[in-house]
Amino acid sequence: MSTILKLFIFPAALIITCLGVNTILGGHITPGGGFQGGAIIAGAFIFCAVVYGLKDSPIKFSHDFMGRMESIGALAYVFIGVAGLIFAGSFLYNLGVDLYGIVPAFIKTIFDYPDPTHAGVIPYLNFAVGLKVLVGLSAVVIAFLGFKGEFDEDGEEIEEIE
Amino acid sequence: MIFYAGPIVLGFLLGFIIGSRIKVNPESKLNFTWGSYITIFIAALVAAYFIGPFPYYQDVPLASGFVSAIVGIFVGKVTLGRYVKDDTEH
Repeated sequence: MSTILKLFIFPAALIITCLGVNTILGGHITPGGGFQGGAIIAGAFIFCAVVYGLKDSPIKFSHDFMGRMESIGALAYVFIGVAGLIFAGSFLYNLGVDLYGIVPAFIKTIFDYPDPTHAGVIPYLNFAVGLKVLVGLSAVVIAFLGFKGEFDEDGEEIEEIE
Repeated sequence: MIFYAGPIVLGFLLGFIIGSRIKVNPESKLNFTWGSYITIFIAALVAAYFIGPFPYYQDVPLASGFVSAIVGIFVGKVTLGRYVKDDTEH
């Protein structure tokens, strides 16, 4: 890749990452949310991986990191859902808002999201989904970039048949 | 002045997670100095000002999640973003 791209892409990727975070955090009141924000952050990573190559990319997602983030995102989502089931009887019940007034006050306080809209668990769900999506999409691109071709039993590359 | 903790804390967390993965290989020809990181921070502040706060947010005239994300990225980079050869293999 050209020198101009190599100079520009890493700073741009950091700014794009911030935009993705902003999209995730505004998911409950503006267009966007966990999936869209996660895809934007993954886009920033993909930008770096394509321009610098997997080896020299300044943003590095290792296999362990992606596994951990994927698990944390999924577990956080399930935990918030099960908390609604335990305290209100419905999976993913919005404990922070409590429209039906059936949740103890301290539980409502715990799951409240401290902003002017008091959106309850929705921003936390966006956060969990954002984590999952950003590592999921990045993993696909890492797999594609790291693909070295198909090899037979003797270690020789299989040529494509037209 | 009111500060809404939600976007600040969650933005910092997400930024920290990404920032901890910024590991510049010293053998590569990339050379981003502290000056370039400060420039990126100022550019992020300007971007946050032009994006503006979310609807109903009346604390600061900036996108607070955006600013906390860039702060989180730099804190993550400084604390955990060291290059370790074995750790960064894909």
